[in-house]
Amino acid sequence: MTELQASIFGALTGSLFALMAVGLSMLWGFLKIINLAHFAMILLGGYLTVDLASRLGMSPVATILITAPLMFLIGALVQAGFDRFGVSELNSLLISYGLLIVTVQIVTNVWTADFQRMSPDINPLSLQSVAIGPFVFPMPTLLAAGFGTVLVFGAHLVLERTYAGRALQAFGQDRQIASAFGIDHRTLGLVLAGTAGASAAIAGMLFAVGEPLTPDSPFEWIGRVFAIVILGGIGNVTGTLYAGVLVGAISGLVSVLWSPSAAPLAVFSLVVLALVFRPNGLFPRKAGH
Amino acid sequence: MRKRSWVAPTAVALGLVATPVLWEITRFPVFYLVFVSGILFWAAQATSWNILSGYSGYFSFGQGAFFGVGVYTMAVLFGRHGWNWLFVVLLGGVAAMLLAAGIGAIAFRLRSLRGEIFALLTLAVPFILAAVVRLVDVIDGGQGIVVPVPAFPEAVAPFQRFYFVISAVVALLALTAAYLMQNNRYGWALFAVRDDEDVAEGLGVPTFFHKMIAIGINGLIGGMSGAVVALNLGFVSVEGTFNLRVPLFVIVMSVLGGRNHWAGPLVGAVYIHTLQNRLADAGFDGWSLIVLGTVLVLLMILAPDGLMSRFSRRPWQVSAAFVLVLAGLAMFGTWGEPVDWLAAALAAAAIVAFLPGRGVSPAQRGVSSVGLGESRAFGEAMKTRGENWTPEPVVTATDVAKSFGGVDALRGVSITVHEGELVGLVGPNGSGKTTLVNLLSGALRPTSGSIRLAGAEIVRLPPHQIAHLGIARTYQIPRPFSSLTVRDNIAVAIMFGREPKSLAESRAEAEEFLMLVGLTDLADVRPEQVNLHERQLLEMARAMATRPSLLLLDEALAGLNPVEIDNAVAVVRRIHGSGVSIVLVEHLLRVVIQLATRVIVLDQGRQLAEGTADVVLRDPAVVTAYMGKESHAPGD
Repeated sequence: MTELQASIFGALTGSLFALMAVGLSMLWGFLKIINLAHFAMILLGGYLTVDLASRLGMSPVATILITAPLMFLIGALVQAGFDRFGVSELNSLLISYGLLIVTVQIVTNVWTADFQRMSPDINPLSLQSVAIGPFVFPMPTLLAAGFGTVLVFGAHLVLERTYAGRALQAFGQDRQIASAFGIDHRTLGLVLAGTAGASAAIAGMLFAVGEPLTPDSPFEWIGRVFAIVILGGIGNVTGTLYAGVLVGAISGLVSVLWSPSAAPLAVFSLVVLALVFRPNGLFPRKAGH
Repeated sequence: MRKRSWVAPTAVALGLVATPVLWEITRFPVFYLVFVSGILFWAAQATSWNILSGYSGYFSFGQGAFFGVGVYTMAVLFGRHGWNWLFVVLLGGVAAMLLAAGIGAIAFRLRSLRGEIFALLTLAVPFILAAVVRLVDVIDGGQGIVVPVPAFPEAVAPFQRFYFVISAVVALLALTAAYLMQNNRYGWALFAVRDDEDVAEGLGVPTFFHKMIAIGINGLIGGMSGAVVALNLGFVSVEGTFNLRVPLFVIVMSVLGGRNHWAGPLVGAVYIHTLQNRLADAGFDGWSLIVLGTVLVLLMILAPDGLMSRFSRRPWQVSAAFVLVLAGLAMFGTWGEPVDWLAAALAAAAIVAFLPGRGVSPAQRGVSSVGLGESRAFGEAMKTRGENWTPEPVVTATDVAKSFGGVDALRGVSITVHEGELVGLVGPNGSGKTTLVNLLSGALRPTSGSIRLAGAEIVRLPPHQIAHLGIARTYQIPRPFSSLTVRDNIAVAIMFGREPKSLAESRAEAEEFLMLVGLTDLADVRPEQVNLHERQLLEMARAMATRPSLLLLDEALAGLNPVEIDNAVAVVRRIHGSGVSIVLVEHLLRVVIQLATRVIVLDQGRQLAEGTADVVLRDPAVVTAYMGKESHAPGD
């Protein structure tokens, strides 16, 4: 019973990590940019949520009305820079590593290196929980799972059903041909990077509602998030969600059965196996798509 | 004459200069000893990182793992159990090397682990290690470990002087390794991997082996350096060891100094450590990561080649600026302290290096002149053979098939190429010609079927072994090693040929192949400075430099103008005349008719026709495949 509860709880948490991963995965797949600064935006989103809720008394969930547009701008701005200087895939990794380090240090200087969390009177959600059958789930986890699932499927629908989404897929497959057919990759890239930034703000809010933040939090996310990106398949939106749920469930189960410290080992063994046997991700899209 | 000999003497000379300088430094006041020891520590870490990540282009964020293994080996075995510290320094290196070999054995085996995914995997390794170290009580258990001051000889007292000496030894080890590798086959294999790994493998470079060597050295020196620094720390903790300092610093230092030069990371270490020291002195401790992160971002965008490449453009001006500023400030002595003088001199050198204006450009573009006259010099081996000579098969492919995820590119093709043949391989787009070339060269493995080279099965062999057995290829779109000159592109192929050769021997031997294709005048320019025709000639010369018995030319004449085509045809004739069998994939039927002794036509992955050019190209089935059903054979 504990095992089942742990796996379901892990799967729900996993969809929050899938939300963190989906923006990265789309930028990597469609724009050939590996943006570690995405983690900086999640971190900033989380800290701004704590600050806005604590100082202005906003509802934590409502803070995304401010942080999401702000991170949209920052995301688009970073992408504009990458585009302007024609940055390659590997160089984007290095440059955004620099940006991440700078952000982490600024956050440390502004908010100190100590844990930050909202007190229960500001963040009543943190004390609520919902009983479903024999299982009890904390509200923040359910909230994260709900947001994560809805947003990732929303992104999937936009990609499949709209002209812009299809144009992005075409651009991800062959940039030159897509450009030759009149796809304005700059504007699309800016919108995509902006949207990824906004999703980072939402992920930051969801994390801050449930867990305490430190400036080093990004380095705890990176391993798991990139495991999800690789397992889900780079640029594969629904695959990212499934991989997030899978990674979360496995982590939860291994933590209970063995030890929490063994969870990363299990996840990375899975990544290595997947790279050997399923290099296009665990959930490849159908051929001819 | 063997020019090779200058490398070792230069290394010895550098050592002879460095030793008294370092000995002089040991007399410095303790403050400066600590400062220089810091530079030496970072020089060792960054140089070891650069041997893998700079030379081979496999970018690692995992330096902290090798460093951390070294630190904790010293902390546990010397700090807790009192083993001999010198022995533990070696053990720390070996332990980190084993970890590196483990990472390499997984990561480098997988084709799908391209550079970016390798980088991300290495990003995760230190965090996993940190979790293990924190939880396992035998190692740390989250409490941290005290490392006492070791016993050291009186001659190097006080401790700071002793620590300086062992730091210098490790740093010199790292720099010597990097220097030697830059001038021998171990380094050049990595340069070829960095520029184009598939091409390197196809030319005979055992890429997996050389990547393992590189990551092993990275681990060994990173671990030894970590073990040494643990002696200076006094107390080690998980948080203090597995953090971002080490990976960030080695990357910034190497990018700043230059990743293509053995001394680049050293230069970067001097700059960054001095900058750090001055920032801390001015009370900006909390700003150092912000400054370093910003420096990394700006460098990657504005000067990704680093300082060393700038220095080498105007070496005298840079040295003069450095010496003048340092000596001037020291003589007046009214401003600052020695580290300030050093910082000012370093800044002056960097400013001079980045001043606008023309330095000596690395290579002046030459004029191509393809000497057709020399073609007679290459023996026409075919004619000297007797009348009763029967050609042996060079390569025999039997019923080979290849499918890509359900799409059949080749559906069972059997061909044999004999000694001295020049087989034209033609067919419409998508007929499987390039796939066949990829199977013969070992770049792809067939789904089924057998390929025998001189009687031996080669289907399961890695491409570099197939290259050594005598198959070479060119690429339709030329893929030269972009960081090497035209001559060195050929030299790499010679160096990693059947019989290993030194760099100097290979460079000398490259002349022969430059002459073969008529690129002698362009020997010292970079491939990006030559035109498409010349790059295609370079492809042929580089393939010939592996001394193949069978040469696969994959559309080696695509995109050329008529004059260039005539020249390329002459070169192919010359190569054929020297006794090499050739498979020529070509769309230009005029060229095929001129050159081929036999023609094979592929269509939709099957062999459609075979025979002499004039017969095959009139075959109605061939005409239909090319022109569609309504057409008539040419000449009707």
